[in-house]
Amino acid sequence: MAIIEQRLGATDGWVKMPDGNLFYIMGFVDITGVPETAVVSYRGKARLIAPLVEAKVGDEVYLTLTNLGFPGRPDLDDSHTVHWHGFPNQIPLYDGVPEASVAVRVGRDFDYYYKPLDPGTYMYHCHFEPVEHIQMGMVGPLIARPRDYDPGVPALKTAYGSGTGTEFAREYFVFLTELDARAHEFMVLVQEYDWSEYRADYYLINGRAYPDTVKDNGDPSLPSQPFSARIKANTGDRVLLRFVNLGYQQHAIEIVGIPLHVAGVDAQRPVGLNGEDLSYGKNVLYVAPGQTYDVMFTAPAPGTYPLYNRNCHKNMNAGVAPGGMVSEVAVHPGTLPPQPGPNA
Amino acid sequence: MLRNVDLWTRDGFFSTPDGSSIYFWGLASREDGKAQLPGPLIVVQQGDTVRINLTNTLPEATSLLFPGQEGVTVDDGTGPRPVQPRFGPGGVLTSFTDYADYPDNPMANPTRVTYAFTPENPGTYLYWSGTNVHRQVLMGLHGCLIVRPADYDESVPARRTAYGEGTGTEFDREYVLVLAEVDPELNYNVEHGFPYRVRDYKPRYWTMNGRCAVDTMLPSGVGYLPTQPYGSMITAEPGEKVLFRYAGGGIENHPLHPHGNHTRIVGLDGRLLRNGATDLSYKRFTVLVGPGQTYDQIFIWTGLGFDPVTHPIPTVLPQLQNLAVGHAGNTLWSGSAYLGLKGDLPVGVADLNDMGEYYFMLHSHEEVQITNWGKYPGGLMTMVAVFPSGRLGERHGRIPYTESVPV
Ligand SMILES: [Cu+2]
Ligand SMILES: [Cu+2]
Repeated sequence: MAIIEQRLGATDGWVKMPDGNLFYIMGFVDITGVPETAVVSYRGKARLIAPLVEAKVGDEVYLTLTNLGFPGRPDLDDSHTVHWHGFPNQIPLYDGVPEASVAVRVGRDFDYYYKPLDPGTYMYHCHFEPVEHIQMGMVGPLIARPRDYDPGVPALKTAYGSGTGTEFAREYFVFLTELDARAHEFMVLVQEYDWSEYRADYYLINGRAYPDTVKDNGDPSLPSQPFSARIKANTGDRVLLRFVNLGYQQHAIEIVGIPLHVAGVDAQRPVGLNGEDLSYGKNVLYVAPGQTYDVMFTAPAPGTYPLYNRNCHKNMNAGVAPGGMVSEVAVHPGTLPPQPGPNA
Repeated sequence: MLRNVDLWTRDGFFSTPDGSSIYFWGLASREDGKAQLPGPLIVVQQGDTVRINLTNTLPEATSLLFPGQEGVTVDDGTGPRPVQPRFGPGGVLTSFTDYADYPDNPMANPTRVTYAFTPENPGTYLYWSGTNVHRQVLMGLHGCLIVRPADYDESVPARRTAYGEGTGTEFDREYVLVLAEVDPELNYNVEHGFPYRVRDYKPRYWTMNGRCAVDTMLPSGVGYLPTQPYGSMITAEPGEKVLFRYAGGGIENHPLHPHGNHTRIVGLDGRLLRNGATDLSYKRFTVLVGPGQTYDQIFIWTGLGFDPVTHPIPTVLPQLQNLAVGHAGNTLWSGSAYLGLKGDLPVGVADLNDMGEYYFMLHSHEEVQITNWGKYPGGLMTMVAVFPSGRLGERHGRIPYTESVPV
């Protein structure tokens, strides 16, 4: 069992939408291994979405949160936390709820400790003033791998452990959020926002709106939005999609021509008390805020299969189509090299 | 057993933590009682003959629906008959079921009716108005009905269940959370007789058992919330089975997420999740509670075994001055990492922690729903408090066995 040390900076930054609009965000940035003297250079470099946190069952994760402050809002001295959403049997100290434990002040560090015992897809987010900090972008994906996970052995490259029928060749998180333009504008203009007026203008997958969703990981035009939402596979590959919803609305995702099989919900296999297999198929996956779904499919014949939101008004950028929660599954005829890691 | 439940529709005002006083229509369980939000919790037993005597004092006809109950009859003074929808001039539907008319109606129908039914299945149900539902349900005419299994026996753990012995639904404590939302402008329009346009519906408040956070965490029956008698603070001890009964009383979806652990959903809409020998229950960390839906779930928090001597936490707690403790000047944190221990808290932060108990938030993850008119904290939020073993006492989370729980 490994010890994983990861360090996240909490700060602010800017994201770009395909129509050219820039939006102020709050978020996390990976500062693992960054020398103490260089940490300050990550102020203002928040990412949407936050870095992937990944561990195996039995690993010990020491996650350090450093509050780097908001260079774009020097008047604000908000604290932050990390909440591992869904972690079973958590204690308040590591749960990141400021009202029930502690938060991290500007310029300070705090170590969270997790020893995951149940595999699956989770999420993490800041829980300080959560209606604001989550919408502003302090959200990230989290994968707990089964204890016997071994990416070099096909039978052990699984979502839920050997023998659970969750072997996969490739995996992608499909991380759903929305962006309310006024909320972000008010934030940078130092104005109070009435959250009951919440209205989504942009619908994002992995922090991007279409057509940016299909650009590569680390596309230089999107320095704060490193994650592509394009899914790639070879014909016949078993593909695992890890859906997370950290928006404030339900979303209904369909992949044209590719039925989905639900192998996990909320980091639990659908299994009855006596081991009954309750997994099921879906054509359109309906995901609520705070839920995760582990969904599998076998990549069909080579070609491009669009992914979109069956809440069709969400396939737009500020009311203009095409945009929003649209991406694609690109199936290759066996020419793709093995996937080096999630979403790679 | 014959169970008589008397209900009076009445108007009143409920209050929100940000100082609003909002007009609503509710139900009272005594003739001289106040309307309450939600309606009185009705607890009956499978096989009982349940008679609901509804007296209307509102300015329009009203009724009650009992979704999940079959063979409901109504008696308006001429003897019981199966409930029927009511139609007005031109054959237009005016009510989904027989109603109690409003006082002084020139048509002079009875203002009092008795609905009767025999619940066949245990579980969690809602009841709500079946008349002018777009107004009356939203104005507050809804409540929760618990049906105990026929073999229920509170004093026998194997029979203190949601669905009967052997169904895997034993619980140590149980809590009802009725969810709804309020657009105060619509309530204001009803109060003043202005046009009511539900298409303009824009909720500003979200209620859990009729209260908005942080009032949700106050005890049941506090005197300054006379029309909102039900608290939503959940208490338990480690390892206990806690039955959460979620019920969607409003018209929106509410994705409820408890911190601390998953729940196992054992019943939906008052039906055990089991087909013959096949168990269909499942675990979730977020449950999307839709309008009219109920979810029976078992929550257990066992912890991770941290103990200051045998299994200390593997990180060093920073000095207090390097931590942000206390939100809005008070904290539920004990100052210690360990259950049952208290530690130092910063000077000036009010200590709301009693004996080192743990608090886990339970809230809607549609985060706008945890505000009061856009301001956090508020709305659909409460806490699950886990007390050290043996310290909580039995009475918490024990709903009286066959009583309608009065104001
Ligand atoms: Cu969460
Ligand atoms: Cu939370």
